[in-house]
Amino acid sequence: CQNLTEDPKANLTPGTYFKTQSDLDGAVSAIYIQFARDGAWGFTNRSTSYFGSDDFTTDPGLNKEDFRLFDRLSGGSGNGSMVAQWQGPWQGIYQANNVIANYAKVNSTEEQKNQSAGQAYFLRALGYYYLVRTFGPVPVILTPIDVDDRPDRDPIEKVYEAIIADLQKAKELLPVKFDNAPGKADQMAARSLLADVYLTMTGWPLNQASNYAQAAAEADAVIKSGQFNLSTPYAQVFTTNNGPESIFGLQYNVNGGLPLRSAGSSCVPLDEVATNGSSGWDDYYPEINFYKKAPKCKRTDDTFYTTLKLRQPDGKTFKLVPWDSPETHARHPYYKKFRAGLNGDGVSETETAINSINPSTNKVYDIIRYPLVLLAYAEASAMSGGGPTPASYAAINEVRKRAGLPNLTPGLSANAFRDSVVYERAYEFAGEFGVRWFDIVRLQLLPKIVAERSPEENPIPANTNFAQKYIAPIPVNEMARNPKWKQNDGY
Amino acid sequence: NAQTFARGQVPQPQRSEQPSYRSLDQVLRDLEKRHSVYFMYHNDKIKSLQVQYQSRNGEGIEETLDRILKANGLEYKKHGKIYAIFPKDADANSMRELKQSLRQTQLPPANTVPANAESSLDNQPGASTISPGSAPRVINIRGRVTDEKNDALPGVSIVLKGTQRGTTTNAEGQYELEIPDESISGAVLVYSFVGYASQEVVVGGRTSIDVGMQVSERGLDEIVVVGYGEQRKSDVTGASSSVSAREIAKRPLVRVEQALQGTTSGVTVSSSSGQPGRGLNVRIRGANSITGSNEPLYVIDGFVGGNIESINPNDIESLEILKDASSAAIYGSRGSNGVVLITTKTGKEGKARVNFSTWFSKASIPRKLDLMNAYDFARTVNAQFASTGNAPAFSDQRLSELKASGGTDWQDELHQEPWIQNYQLDVSGGSSNVRYLFSANYLDQPGLILNQYYKRTTLRANIDAKLNDKIDLKFNVAAMLPKSRNNGYSGDLVDPFTQATEWDPTSPVRDPATGQFIYTAPYGSIQYNPIARATNQQFDNRQANVTGTAILTYRILKGLSFTTINTYEIRTGFTQNLFGPGTSNGVLYAEGNASRGGFFQNSNFLTYKNTFGDHSITLTALYEQQNGNNTSINARANNLSSYALGYYNLSLGATQLTNSGYSQDALQSYMGRVNYSYKDKYLLTAAVRTDGSSHLTQKYSTFPSLALGWNVANENFMKDSRVFSDLKLRASYGQTGNQAVGAYATIAQISTGGPQPAYYYDGSTPSVSTPLGAPVSKNLKWERTEQFDVGLDASFLRGRLTFTADAYKKNISDLLYNYQAPFYMGGGDYLRNIGSVENRGIEFSVGGTPVSSGKLRWTTNFNISFNRNKVTDLGGLDNVIVNGIGSAGNSASILRVGRPLGEFYGYQFLGTWKTSEAEEATKYGMKPGDAKYTDVDGDHAYTAADRMPIGNGTPKYSFGFINDVSYGDFSLSFMFQGTHGNQIYSQTLAYLWGGLGDQRNATTQEALNIWTPQHETDNPAFSNTSKNFNNSSRYVYNASYIKLKNVSLTYKLPAVVLNKIKIRNLEVYVSSQNLFMITKYPGYDPEVSNGFNAITQGLEMGVIPNAKTYTAGLRLGL
Repeated sequence: CQNLTEDPKANLTPGTYFKTQSDLDGAVSAIYIQFARDGAWGFTNRSTSYFGSDDFTTDPGLNKEDFRLFDRLSGGSGNGSMVAQWQGPWQGIYQANNVIANYAKVNSTEEQKNQSAGQAYFLRALGYYYLVRTFGPVPVILTPIDVDDRPDRDPIEKVYEAIIADLQKAKELLPVKFDNAPGKADQMAARSLLADVYLTMTGWPLNQASNYAQAAAEADAVIKSGQFNLSTPYAQVFTTNNGPESIFGLQYNVNGGLPLRSAGSSCVPLDEVATNGSSGWDDYYPEINFYKKAPKCKRTDDTFYTTLKLRQPDGKTFKLVPWDSPETHARHPYYKKFRAGLNGDGVSETETAINSINPSTNKVYDIIRYPLVLLAYAEASAMSGGGPTPASYAAINEVRKRAGLPNLTPGLSANAFRDSVVYERAYEFAGEFGVRWFDIVRLQLLPKIVAERSPEENPIPANTNFAQKYIAPIPVNEMARNPKWKQNDGY
Repeated sequence: NAQTFARGQVPQPQRSEQPSYRSLDQVLRDLEKRHSVYFMYHNDKIKSLQVQYQSRNGEGIEETLDRILKANGLEYKKHGKIYAIFPKDADANSMRELKQSLRQTQLPPANTVPANAESSLDNQPGASTISPGSAPRVINIRGRVTDEKNDALPGVSIVLKGTQRGTTTNAEGQYELEIPDESISGAVLVYSFVGYASQEVVVGGRTSIDVGMQVSERGLDEIVVVGYGEQRKSDVTGASSSVSAREIAKRPLVRVEQALQGTTSGVTVSSSSGQPGRGLNVRIRGANSITGSNEPLYVIDGFVGGNIESINPNDIESLEILKDASSAAIYGSRGSNGVVLITTKTGKEGKARVNFSTWFSKASIPRKLDLMNAYDFARTVNAQFASTGNAPAFSDQRLSELKASGGTDWQDELHQEPWIQNYQLDVSGGSSNVRYLFSANYLDQPGLILNQYYKRTTLRANIDAKLNDKIDLKFNVAAMLPKSRNNGYSGDLVDPFTQATEWDPTSPVRDPATGQFIYTAPYGSIQYNPIARATNQQFDNRQANVTGTAILTYRILKGLSFTTINTYEIRTGFTQNLFGPGTSNGVLYAEGNASRGGFFQNSNFLTYKNTFGDHSITLTALYEQQNGNNTSINARANNLSSYALGYYNLSLGATQLTNSGYSQDALQSYMGRVNYSYKDKYLLTAAVRTDGSSHLTQKYSTFPSLALGWNVANENFMKDSRVFSDLKLRASYGQTGNQAVGAYATIAQISTGGPQPAYYYDGSTPSVSTPLGAPVSKNLKWERTEQFDVGLDASFLRGRLTFTADAYKKNISDLLYNYQAPFYMGGGDYLRNIGSVENRGIEFSVGGTPVSSGKLRWTTNFNISFNRNKVTDLGGLDNVIVNGIGSAGNSASILRVGRPLGEFYGYQFLGTWKTSEAEEATKYGMKPGDAKYTDVDGDHAYTAADRMPIGNGTPKYSFGFINDVSYGDFSLSFMFQGTHGNQIYSQTLAYLWGGLGDQRNATTQEALNIWTPQHETDNPAFSNTSKNFNNSSRYVYNASYIKLKNVSLTYKLPAVVLNKIKIRNLEVYVSSQNLFMITKYPGYDPEVSNGFNAITQGLEMGVIPNAKTYTAGLRLGL
């Protein structure tokens, strides 16, 4: 007779798992991968709905429909690449819930268990933070749930409560710093993110001005730790990994099957062809007026790519033309800072020639750089105290100094100072991970930036209701899987 | 009325087992029942011979026959299950001598035979071959009768029409018959033999008449395999169809499934890809499962779930297709897609026969897509750029250069026209105790694109041994050794085949300066050069698949026998893959994968068969167990420092990754079946099977079935019918299951390995990642199919016209679906019983012999099947999203209650906004020339709410039309096959327009005909206000087709010639497959699609089409 009992000898099951610290370590690194991989934040897909921002636009024709529709504030729930913005965070949260539900039963030291759980809390909060800002109300799921459960969308307040609770917990459990593991979220990462979360909560849609003080306090703690500084020249931040200003970044390893593809080919103009025949993808570049309004400084020179290299028929020599030359396809400036990848594993080039253009690089994607904390402190301290303090000025000026800019005009009002900080953020983080877009969202800037938009850009339909464009639609397939949900207005 | 009988017409009461003289006719009738065989003999003479016969327990049929026939001067010849009995020497004189000798040596006791045996013999109707006194002048006609293989056919009855005068052929198929001279002018000879179509031949003054007999399409007395036993076809109550070795031999087949295409009603076969060595989709009565396989269950010599690829088509004796639930229910949880029973050939008694055959085919892609040359492409890119205010990509000078050079035709660069070759050799023969068949086959099939092939060697030895009076042993061992390169392209965006339609024609294949491949181009596709990919990718697979089957039959008592079937199969696979430079913009790697699987089946069944007066009963009881396991090890090296060594040195990788897997499963089953028949008129089959499987939490499920049949033709009121020669009505009900649940599906798992096996906290040190896998449903059940079937089999005009019709209704409940979890549950797929689907259909098959006169004979068969399905329940879910195909990941299909499976879902394309509609277009933020779609909710925006059903990939009906025309030594076969009412949603064609996924610019020639204010076509203009939806009816095409699947012309060398050169048989033929098709589909081939299940059927992206081939071959018999 046959034995009909199953024994999956080659597969770990919950029954044979979460016994040792190394089981726990494997479950924690699984969370990071969900955020880092291609199809989540490893590729340009991450930014689809952020194309409404002025630091992003895309080719008017070609195969960029998914990005272009959001650039035109016309994106819809069927947008295929936007799904990545939904999928990545949720998959990270799913793994984080697995860790949080099980870490206590592992046979290990309390310290090790706390460190593992702390990272899970941090990453879960990070996931919800991106979800709530991108999609509005989402269900708050903090434990593993039954396979057939279909929870309702929770109000935005409730999502932020969960984020703050998780980050407080992470702050408590995490060490100040992990040795030899720059990719691990530590207490400073949790505090920095908390500062950013509180700052965001002061704006739309919660408008809780009371949170300025908490934002300032958390940011201040990070600044006071002295762990971070801006000693690395701006350009070098984007060609090296885990420098002294890196607080939290996603780590990549091409050989290990985990490439970053947001740098390299993705940001290279279509017209550029390397000597080895590889060419650019023209996925994203800044809007013309966003570039034109950039402050004149070294940082701007290092940020934008304005002289294109056109390969000549001989295949070896390149003709250098300005970005607005009729010889270029898009007549737009591009991003220089994302070209090289890690020491040129993205675009390998000299001043006059391009050797190769590669879409897969080992560059770390910095989610929290120290300037984010400095500028959060500057804005929050100014807004909570009725005006900027010397410390507020010191924080923004530290950023400006490295950018090659003079100190900010002293004596600004709270609002004028806040606007200066927002302007600073736009160019310090141009093209980085939706920082600019979320400033537009929390400060409701769409009418202003659309008004300043060049007529050369992809046209925005005349009847667009800007108020409905600050959050993206829930992907249509996910709506079908959750029959009780109501789609965001306007989609 | 000249007739031969395969069996007695009037059941006789059982005689005692005393040694006594009985009529040979009665004895043979007993033997027929006992051994499930059939005798045929010229009824007039032999049936009333009196023989002494005592049954001996455990004696085989051939021993019995040796005992009772050979002693009486009779011979027999076996044709499958039919034994033809004839005198040792059939001429008139010897018949007289025979009669004399019978009288002298075997004079029975006076009380059991007529007093005057000779007169009783002579008084039998038609007994005398010749009566010298009655016809003073006679003409002697001689000749030879052969079967379809040109082999001698002994025992054929030859009767002068309208008289009782006749004879039979001898062991060499020869006969001699005297007929009265005065009848010569209008004389007609009737040749008949069971299982073959009767032939009437006008003598017309000839004295030598050779006749070739053809297998009867009527075939009601055929023996058919029914699963765990055999039945007379006339007793079969379920809906089944057969395909014979003869049908298989007509075409140069490389896969067994091809033999089913177009040949049987209710069976739709489509060749899902033209890649060498690829399987075909076989659907019996539509699709049942939306998740699991819809392929039928293959049972190869009793091995349930055998690998269809492992069978060399030339080794097949017969294929039986069980279509309704009652026939398939004996296979329980695996029967819902229908069952194909395959019986391999066995050797025949006699001296060794050698058959050799070979064929060569020249294959080509049936059509090319109309793509732009470099000049048109460049102009179009410029036009596209201009429309969005961008600078032209190509200067005037460059344009004129391209105009002169023409650029690269990527289709021509990639496609090739290979020679395919096939060799088959078999040797068979045997003695009365041991029969053997050895077969070897080699197929070499290069692909239709560069650097692709499939080569297969199959070897087989089938031995049938009679161990003693009671025990027969059959031992079959078969090995399949396929080897392939790059034949695993699934059809995808990044495949070279797709890329050849998307690549920039202005780019050369190689850099003229360096001779190196150009990997990427600035226009057209962002993917890699298809020639570079096809060349630098090596996906090499070798397998060794060895199956041994031992079948032992033990005749315990009269009517009671025990059979045990034991199969062991070893499957090993070894794959070496190299994805070198230019194959992808992802990670490059080399890897090796080794796997080994073992599979064991043990089936044991008792069969009891007996007849009580008018009641015949067969009882079958089965216990069966199966288990299988599979182990695999994978080693992979990413980003090699050098690719010079190919995949041979993995230590060159910058990162090494290893992986291993193991799975095991088991199945245990019980089955009982009753076959009952009353007076051969009323038939009943009832069966119950219980399957216990390791895959489910609740292990056991039971599948009952019941079928009734009524042989109306055997009723007295039909006896004299001149219209019907046969008429049978059938009705059945049964339940079957579908095991679309893999091992460990109900156990939550921690997934390991995969594409991102580790995270790197410092960018370089791997930290193993063990994510929680997809959620699981604990209470999974098999899909259950309930099926009702009614059918009728009729034959008219003595079998010259046959007709079969069936109607069925299937309800499939507990439908298993690989449901995608919401992303807050990880987004992985998990199996779930989601609802029910209903399939209804009717199918017809008409066969006939429209012409049969002299040397000309035409037989034909037409079959057609209609199937409709709809989703009847989704367990409360409104919509179930169907994940798309390929890397485009487009969700083009959806499941909805009340709608059919396989429905495409998207935007209804209405062409373009015309200048006259400018105002309306503005409301949509659009302008004339932009794409226009149906605005379902009327909100003046194209949103997800505007999607609607836009087509369906399932045919409304499919049909096959087969014809064989023979004239003398020539025969012409042709087969048409087609489907109607199905559509294809073609991403291949969608991408030709550019602007989708990774395709930047248009390559189709139709892009030269886009909307302009002067020429308002329905091809949208290049615009940055237009919306180009991938899942739109714009890319849904009518995919109905009719194909001339096969046409072949065969010449068989005449016997006269063959005898001189001492060759038994020699045929040469030429043929063509897919010579032409009629279709409106503009893509490569309407038959292919990526869809492997019921809901993705008709979704197509870059699938290699089926080849058009020209073949020449020969068959030689020694």
